[in-house]
Amino acid sequence: MRQRCNQLTILLRMVTVGTMVLLAGCIARQPNSRLVLTPSEFAAADWQEVVRRSRDSLVNFAMWSGDEERNRYLRGKVADELKRRHDIRLRITPLSDTADAVNKLLTERSGGKVDGGSIDMVWINGENFRTAKQGGVFWGPFAERLPSIAFFATQARLQDFGTPTDGYEAPWSRAQFVMAYDSARVSDPPRSIEALCVWIKSHPGRFTYIAPPDFTGSVFVRHLLIHFGGGAKACWSVFNRELYEQASAAAIERLNDLKPFLWRRGETYPATLSDQNRLFSNSEIDFAMSYSPSFASEHIARGEFPPTTRTFVFDEGTIGNYSFLAIPFNASNIAGALVAINFLMSPEQQLDRVRTLGDVFPLELSLLTPEERRQAQVLPIGAATLSADVLAAHLMPEPDAEYLLRLEREWLKKVLRQ
Amino acid sequence: MAPSLSTASYGPAFWAKTLAVIATVGLSLGPVTLLVLTSFARHWYWPALLPPEYSFRAWKDIASLSSGITSALATSAGIAMLVTVVAVVIGLPAARALGLNEFRGKRTVIFLLLLPVLTPPLASTMGVHALFLRYGLTDSLVGVMLVHLIPTVPYSVLMLSSTFTNFDTNWEAQARTLGASPLATWWHVTLPAIAPGIAIAAVFAFLISWSQYLITLFVGGGHIVTLPLLLVAFQRSGDQAIAAALSLVFLTPTFVLFATAARFLKPNPSGR
Amino acid sequence: MSYALDSVRRSVHLRIALMIAPALLVVGVLFVGGLGIAIRQSIGYFPLIGEDDFTSAHYRVLFDDLEFHKSLALTFLLASASTAISSLAGLALALALRDIARCNRLLNALLQVPIGIPHLVMAVALLHLITPSGLIARTAYAAGLVKVPLDFPVVVNDRYGFGIIIAYVLKETPFIALMVLGLLVRLGDEYHCVARTLGASSWQRLRYVTLPMAAPAVASGALVVFAFAFGAFEIPYLLGRTYPAMLSVVAQRHFMSPDLTERPEAIAIAIVIATITCLLVWLYMRLARTLMGVEKPMIF
Repeated sequence: MRQRCNQLTILLRMVTVGTMVLLAGCIARQPNSRLVLTPSEFAAADWQEVVRRSRDSLVNFAMWSGDEERNRYLRGKVADELKRRHDIRLRITPLSDTADAVNKLLTERSGGKVDGGSIDMVWINGENFRTAKQGGVFWGPFAERLPSIAFFATQARLQDFGTPTDGYEAPWSRAQFVMAYDSARVSDPPRSIEALCVWIKSHPGRFTYIAPPDFTGSVFVRHLLIHFGGGAKACWSVFNRELYEQASAAAIERLNDLKPFLWRRGETYPATLSDQNRLFSNSEIDFAMSYSPSFASEHIARGEFPPTTRTFVFDEGTIGNYSFLAIPFNASNIAGALVAINFLMSPEQQLDRVRTLGDVFPLELSLLTPEERRQAQVLPIGAATLSADVLAAHLMPEPDAEYLLRLEREWLKKVLRQ
Repeated sequence: MAPSLSTASYGPAFWAKTLAVIATVGLSLGPVTLLVLTSFARHWYWPALLPPEYSFRAWKDIASLSSGITSALATSAGIAMLVTVVAVVIGLPAARALGLNEFRGKRTVIFLLLLPVLTPPLASTMGVHALFLRYGLTDSLVGVMLVHLIPTVPYSVLMLSSTFTNFDTNWEAQARTLGASPLATWWHVTLPAIAPGIAIAAVFAFLISWSQYLITLFVGGGHIVTLPLLLVAFQRSGDQAIAAALSLVFLTPTFVLFATAARFLKPNPSGR
Repeated sequence: MSYALDSVRRSVHLRIALMIAPALLVVGVLFVGGLGIAIRQSIGYFPLIGEDDFTSAHYRVLFDDLEFHKSLALTFLLASASTAISSLAGLALALALRDIARCNRLLNALLQVPIGIPHLVMAVALLHLITPSGLIARTAYAAGLVKVPLDFPVVVNDRYGFGIIIAYVLKETPFIALMVLGLLVRLGDEYHCVARTLGASSWQRLRYVTLPMAAPAVASGALVVFAFAFGAFEIPYLLGRTYPAMLSVVAQRHFMSPDLTERPEAIAIAIVIATITCLLVWLYMRLARTLMGVEKPMIF
């Protein structure tokens, strides 16, 4: 008993000391004036000055973390390179949904937390950007002053799902919606939306889509909206109420029409991309979809999808978009964020990322050096990935974010809850 | 004397006991075995009954520093240790008062202590979040530790009060009459007697803090990454093997602590 | 003389108050305070979204919302079913193991294992087990009972919440069994021996001796299980349906929406959950004393 008592004492002492040490480390981050600058200071400053100020600092990067390959790549190779080149430590804050970060920033803004924020940069686009911009939670404008912006095409920089960026976010990567199927199971995949609907009805229980407001599920129903609204020919870049009401009524009706033929009779839907992928791997459904054209090849390489998996896009085209990097209004390390963003946008980094993760190459080829252009043109793609030409030929731009928001709400009300 | 097994032969009682033992073994070892298999499986899809290929990839990823797991582990452990210390230190005097005395309002106090333990933390955490936002405690380790105190402090008090209920103050009185100072009495008489109770309370406080998810997410804002948060993130990202491996890492301190606590607790206290 | 006693009593009360103070402070500020702030936000004092005046609108919207009622009913149903099944199963398990558990430390240790497994991990494990493409389904496939995952009965993300019930039952049955065992072992065998000596049959012993002895443990366990199943988040999140979902999932969904005006609704739902739980605890404490003569739930 005495020995146990002594053990207890020693343990208590260790823990108390550890406690003090931990507490000392707990003192809230004081905003470091070296790392914080106002947009006007940035406009007037020299870029090298910003780079100098950002040395030996920590940048917190909040990004959607649903793809472990991407997380690993950013946490590993990219972070190492950033540290080596600019002496900046990159720390990833995982998000299961970018809306969470927007929510947090909006709350902090209303709550008066104007500095010392725990996020320095965010990976964002679409309706999330719109909500954030309207809420005034981003720092800027800054994008046009970054050296790397020169490599992006103009239309990539100006608007995001119809919302003008105004320099509050800088373009980073590109995505385009593709459908995947197992060619061993499905010998003749439907190539258009109408053909897909016919296929679903003749193969009950073998198809589903991710529930909106997940971004992949959301873009799937957006395709139906565009289909019933007259296709890509109609003008989707500005919100048109009549167009929306007519197209959404037809789209919702079709979705409800298809409901009994879906997986689980449409009573429940996979909640995330990985849920859907699991169903596909387990042969519960015959199609999978994603914003990432290389996702099938990636999963084949990891042994998760059968090697006979292939991807396709609809004849009438699929939606593609850019995604961006933005800086919260209360970021603790603005200088570091600017340098990190510029670094991620640079051609060298883009080439490396596309080579590793198989993303669509986002930069404008004519704006690169001949060597970079050559490298971009010989980037390897997986067996299940469509070529850049095919993707580009079937590209549809995103509709205005208002279409998205309203459609998601209506889907929840009129399809899910029926 | 209890009826011995030999007289039961193979009647219904025997089968009930066998079933019960099988159920117990299945319930306890089943999930863990499943997790172990999944963590070593290269890919394990329909209709394979056992993983067709094995690999160490998930475990190698966990051990590598770029997975963010080591820092989440350190954060979880640090928070849980601190919370345990505070919970026990605050809980001891309150438990003593509760366990040894009867007083008006005792039932109210017990009720007030039960509420944070049994009530789902959603509402109070949402309110606490607004409070912490004003004082800059969100996204911070201190803030997360403070919310972890909500379930652990009352739990410690209530657990320790049982220990004190069984504690006979006469021992202390005797020590005092023999000339021991209050401090010496506490150290040599009280503490050894309640040490097992403290150990159990500490173990449970640690485990409660260790497995918190929602309140850490709300108050930590996703910035303070503990193991449960990471576990959910990995589970949602579809990497089954890593999620399983991480679950096992997560379970290890639990079992270690249970085993340690079991040494303090006599197997079958009867007739105290 | 009485003055001296009074002052002694007062100083004792003061000492007691001082000793309890820190713990009550933590509970008071963080829990009661947090709850109070949340209640205040739900009735209209929410500067974050610019609300500044008492309004019952949030609750009215809630009670008008069909989804809320469906979720409330579902939550009650699933929590009750889980509690009932795990209580019965736990009791049965404890009774069956009573003789063996007394001398077998290994069995006791094994029973504690599921308690150490967090609900999150149990949900993950179940996703591998009971889904239509899970292990049990694959065993059925190997036995020739099903041909495609579609043929296997659906128990996860299903209409009746079976997956959720299974998860809670698997986790809480050992918990209740342990509590009952602990109590029975502690109370000893004397009553049973006496009953047998007096000529009681097994069934009579069970009914008049064992069950009343075990009742406090089962009741406390049931309270804890119900309170937990009612408001917990992780299991319905991973194993439940998109709609209608259990209350805690709905609350979290509204809370995390970028549309901050949905927040008071989320808080209102959380308050409803908290109120029902508090009522339950209060009810338990009132009944426990009269019916069973115990001061507080026996998990402590």
